[in-house]
Amino acid sequence: MDMNEIKEIFFQECEEQLAELESGLLKLNDGDRDPETVNAVFRAVHSIKGGAGAFGLDDLVSFAHVFETTLDCVRSNKLEPTQDVLKVMLKSADVLADLVSASRDGGGVDEGRSRGLVKELEALARGELPTGGAAEAPKPAAPKPAPAPAAAAPAAPAPTDESGFQPVPFSFDDEEETIVPSVYEVTFKPRRELYAKGNEAALLLRDLTRVGEMSINCDTETLPHFDKMDPEGAYFSWKISVKTEKGEQDIRSVFEFAEWDCDLDVKLAETTDEELPMVPVPFDLSALDDDSASEEDAAEDAASIQAAAAEAVAAAETATNVSKMAAAASRVEKKESQAAAAAAAAAANAANAANSAGQTIRVDLDRVDRLINLVGELVINQAMLSQSVIENDTTGTSSINMGLEELQQLTREIQDSVMAIRAQPVKPVFQRMSRIVREVADMVGKSIRLVTEGENTEVDKTVIDKLAEPLTHMIRNAVDHGIESPEKREAAGKNPEGTVKLTAKHRSGRIVIELVDDGAGINREKVRQKAIDNDLIPADANLSDEEIDNLIFMPGFSTADKISDISGRGVGMDVVKRSIQALGGRISISSRPGLGSTFTMSLPLTLAVLDGMVVTVAGQTLVVPLTAIVETLQPEASSIHSFGANQRLISIRNSFCPLVDVGRILNFRGTQANPVEGVALLVESEGGGQRALMVDAIQGQRQVVIKSLEANYTHVPGIAAATILGDGRVALILDVDAVVAASRGQSLKQESSLKSDMSLAAAG
Amino acid sequence: MAGKKAEKGNLKLVAVLDLNEASVLHGQLMNARGHDVTIDASEVQRVGVQCVQVLMAAAKAWEEDKKTFVFEKVSDAFRKTMQLIGINIDHLLAKEIRQ
Repeated sequence: MDMNEIKEIFFQECEEQLAELESGLLKLNDGDRDPETVNAVFRAVHSIKGGAGAFGLDDLVSFAHVFETTLDCVRSNKLEPTQDVLKVMLKSADVLADLVSASRDGGGVDEGRSRGLVKELEALARGELPTGGAAEAPKPAAPKPAPAPAAAAPAAPAPTDESGFQPVPFSFDDEEETIVPSVYEVTFKPRRELYAKGNEAALLLRDLTRVGEMSINCDTETLPHFDKMDPEGAYFSWKISVKTEKGEQDIRSVFEFAEWDCDLDVKLAETTDEELPMVPVPFDLSALDDDSASEEDAAEDAASIQAAAAEAVAAAETATNVSKMAAAASRVEKKESQAAAAAAAAAANAANAANSAGQTIRVDLDRVDRLINLVGELVINQAMLSQSVIENDTTGTSSINMGLEELQQLTREIQDSVMAIRAQPVKPVFQRMSRIVREVADMVGKSIRLVTEGENTEVDKTVIDKLAEPLTHMIRNAVDHGIESPEKREAAGKNPEGTVKLTAKHRSGRIVIELVDDGAGINREKVRQKAIDNDLIPADANLSDEEIDNLIFMPGFSTADKISDISGRGVGMDVVKRSIQALGGRISISSRPGLGSTFTMSLPLTLAVLDGMVVTVAGQTLVVPLTAIVETLQPEASSIHSFGANQRLISIRNSFCPLVDVGRILNFRGTQANPVEGVALLVESEGGGQRALMVDAIQGQRQVVIKSLEANYTHVPGIAAATILGDGRVALILDVDAVVAASRGQSLKQESSLKSDMSLAAAG
Repeated sequence: MAGKKAEKGNLKLVAVLDLNEASVLHGQLMNARGHDVTIDASEVQRVGVQCVQVLMAAAKAWEEDKKTFVFEKVSDAFRKTMQLIGINIDHLLAKEIRQ
């Protein structure tokens, strides 16, 4: 494995950490105050920093460092994670993500933005509330050179009292004196590995006393019950103030060899803040290393231990870095141990969670696609085989039939499992959306919360990849047009903070994604007027509310009074609709004035196979996607009504539905077929309208493997794709929407540009 | 061995209480659960944080059990390490050695 591969893995891990970071921050934003959440966020940034350090990505390291420092304040309860604070943090997470992708793909980052955020973060770390323009204060991260190196001798005279327990509280009053030694707040939390590698926290603390005058507070909160504790675990953590003339670097260097195995934070203390009961530490620690009995022995001992430990740690450090990235398995383990160190009380839970997360491998997508393709061929081959057996087997009872049935079941199962490999949760897309909501809301001065549900719903990777763009469009629209300004909302008696809700769920073999906003809803009068102005509908058209709502999907439509950068150049929703259709999906809208709008998208779980109804039309075999079909019926002469020159309606349960002769529309035959001799398929086209498609006969239902017609032949209007049937013949898959549109009098040719073209996504 | 203990309830800590001793110490204290315990730390020269963790957790557990858990004698090194890592053991010291 060469360096580039390791780096690639690091970036993949970064993606995961960034996702973790963002979801943690969002949880905090929703009021979650679980320390484990804060820790998870902290760990994510810390890991990115660690990995970036190993690859020398300095920009990333320095930003992550500042971010980490501020997060540590939250972790140690010095900084209350208010909405304002989290806003800065979420922005920082975005910048961190930008920096990661800039490091991977090259390209620039908005330096001004990241510098601004660094300042804001630093201000937060100092306990200043976010005001936006805190620029003048010095950086806490950068150590100020010690004011008086001459006075650097750290070991002040020892207190005379041997016991050392003087009840003298540490005083910060000295701060005001002329030559001020700085006071640093050090938070030190060893992890289990620190001890396991032979380091000893007590020794590190002893070394720290040599840097300056020190007060210490040991946090024993996380110490579990005696019965449940791991004797070799790491439970204690320390908050230490060190008063020294030396700089931060000197303090850090004490922990140099243990840095990777502990959570360490060093920063300048605020002069006033002192709520922890600190115990001053005497400087006479002679008893520790200069024991009268074995003075030299102990000192030597300590030195050699430290040297050995240093070596071991350094080696182990490199090893951990490499192995950390190399294997997901070790990651699970690492998580486990980190969790144990972070909160012993929750250790058992966390470990269980880490274990149950299971192991994963990363596989090249090409390999999966090749497998899927092969399985597709297998399914077709199996269908062909069984068909020829049935045709040649006159007795019909042979054991071959039974074997074939089993084979069919097996191939179906294999296909499902292979498809499941490509299935991935929609979470990453949803998470990207939350960033868009934040940025757009910021731009337009609205306050909007994105609530997501069902992020773990799985769907084919191709669908996920192609979902991002239309979703982005829609989210922007919802934020820009859907949600009103805070003032308007308040006037309407709503919460000034708008809510956009994004949900995903499985429903009858499809994934349904809903985007709900609680904005003003669609202004139907305005939409209607606009449509008339743009010649999209005649001025006297009588449209239902639903039809008006659906007008926004027409090309060239925008109701926004002014065109903004964000949305509304009139190419929005029709593009969205087209991309959803290209995925074989449908989109619809429902809106309640004053209460908001709901966009519902229904998408196939996979683009490679399709459940279809095989029908015969004018001697041709066609496949109609099952999802489009509502019901099938045998028309009776009495329920067929004609009107106009060649329009016919069918009466179904006392309502009329236009009858569409598929054979006529596709030019399979010149004259209209007699409806009574055929079968009607009641289909639902987008926009909610129902049509009865007339076909000659139904052959049956079958799962078919979609083959692109365009890739192998050329685009045919009214046809979405093709498939190979069991007898080896090619059958065409009907594009229901295009056929329905064509029946409205628009020609198929025109409509073809809009036609749903799942063929694009279909495998070869 | 963390302590050359004679009977249950009296525990003499060994000189070096490092990482390896933490489990041993834990085990010994486990055996003594439910009994009053007197600990002799007079010979301790080095204490690691992990052993301190064990001792502190034990002190808490004993308190819950309403049994006594006292350090009868402590060495200077032991006392100073405790002080160094910010652990107050005053309340655990036997009265006669309290200062």
